[in-house]
Amino acid sequence: MDQDLVGRLMAEMDPDLLEFLQTKVNSFLKWDLIRFFYENPHTTDTAENIARYAGRNPETTRAELEELAAAGVLVESRLGEMTVYSLSSDPEVRDLVRRFVEASDDRQFRVKAIYHIIRGMR
Amino acid sequence: MERVKTGIAGLDQMLHGGLLPETATLVEGAPGTGKTTLGMQFIYNGIVRWDEPGIILTFEQFPSQYYRDAASFGWDFRRLEEEGKLRIIMTSPEVSRLDLEQVGGQIERWAREMGAKRILVDSLSHFERLSEDPVELRQMVYGFINGLKREGLTAVLTRESPALLGEAESYDEGLAFLVDTYILLRYVEMDSAIHKALLVLKMRGSDHDKDIRQFTITDHGIVVQSRFEGREGIMSGSPRRMAASFVEAFIRR
Repeated sequence: MDQDLVGRLMAEMDPDLLEFLQTKVNSFLKWDLIRFFYENPHTTDTAENIARYAGRNPETTRAELEELAAAGVLVESRLGEMTVYSLSSDPEVRDLVRRFVEASDDRQFRVKAIYHIIRGMR
Repeated sequence: MERVKTGIAGLDQMLHGGLLPETATLVEGAPGTGKTTLGMQFIYNGIVRWDEPGIILTFEQFPSQYYRDAASFGWDFRRLEEEGKLRIIMTSPEVSRLDLEQVGGQIERWAREMGAKRILVDSLSHFERLSEDPVELRQMVYGFINGLKREGLTAVLTRESPALLGEAESYDEGLAFLVDTYILLRYVEMDSAIHKALLVLKMRGSDHDKDIRQFTITDHGIVVQSRFEGREGIMSGSPRRMAASFVEAFIRR
C-alpha cells in the first residue's frame, strides 16, 4: 500500500481513536477483549476465565490482558492468589472504549482499523 | 412477618406471602424448566413493584442474553441498568466467592451503592467445578451464601438438575441443606405431553404449601396454576392416574 493511501487512512480517522488503535488496540485479540469488556463492564475475572468467555487461548489472552492493563484500559489486581482483570473505571477510558466499539460497527471504520492493526503487526 | 414477594402470584401463595428477608432460596430444575426466568422475574418485580434494586450474578450467560430473554417478557433490563436499579455481573464462582470474603469487595460496594435488596445467582452449579470434595464444596457455598446475607440481600440461586425427568442418580443433595428455601421445578410427562411442575420442598422459619403445582411460562413470565389432582408420582416425572375420582387438573385459580 502506498504512503499516500496510508496517510489518507490516518487522516480520515478520529485522532483519539487513531491513537487508541495505534497505542492500545494493536492486535485483533485486544480488539475482542475491548469489545468483551464494553459488553460486560462489571466483569472482574481471571485471564483463564476471560479467555473461556472470549473463546480464546488462555496464555495468549493473559499476555494481551497484561498489555491492556499496562496501557491503562484495564485494571489488574490481586484477589487472594488470583490475578484478576476489570475495565478501568476512569470515565475518559470508558468513553474511549465506547466510542471505539460503536465506531467499529461501521464497515469503513473497521476496514481502516484492520489495516492499522495489520500494519502494526509487521 | 415481613416477606419478600417474588411477585409470582401462585408462588407467593405457596410461600405464604413470599420469601423471608435475607434468606437464600435454591431453585433447582432440569435445563429449560424456567429457573432463570423465575429468578429474573423475582429481580424484575422487586425493582418495578417494590423499588428494591437487584443484582444478577451470572457464571454462564452473557448480560446480552439476559437483556434479550428479559425483553421477550416485556422486561427492559437495559433501562433498569441505566437507571442504576439493576446490575448484571458476569463473573466466575471463584472470583465472586473471594470477592465477597474481602472487606470492601466489588459485590459489597455495588450492593451498598445501589441499595440492592435482591440477588439472583445463576447458577450455583458452577461452584461444583471448584472442588470434588463435597465437604469442601459445601463450606465454600456456605460462606458464599452467608456473604450475600451479610449484605442484606435476599438471594435466589439456581441449580441445574442433571435429570430431565424423575430423580437424578449420584446427585449431591448436600447443598440443599445450606439454603433456607428449596424450590424444585420438574418436567412431568402426562397424556403424551410434557408439563412443568413446581414444589416448595422446604422453607426454614415458615410454613408453606406442600402442593405440587403446574406452572407455565407465558409472555409475561411464570404463572403458577392449581395443584395436580387425581395423579400420583408427579415428581417421578411419569405420574399415574389415581383411581376413578380423577379431578380435572390444571384448572387456573
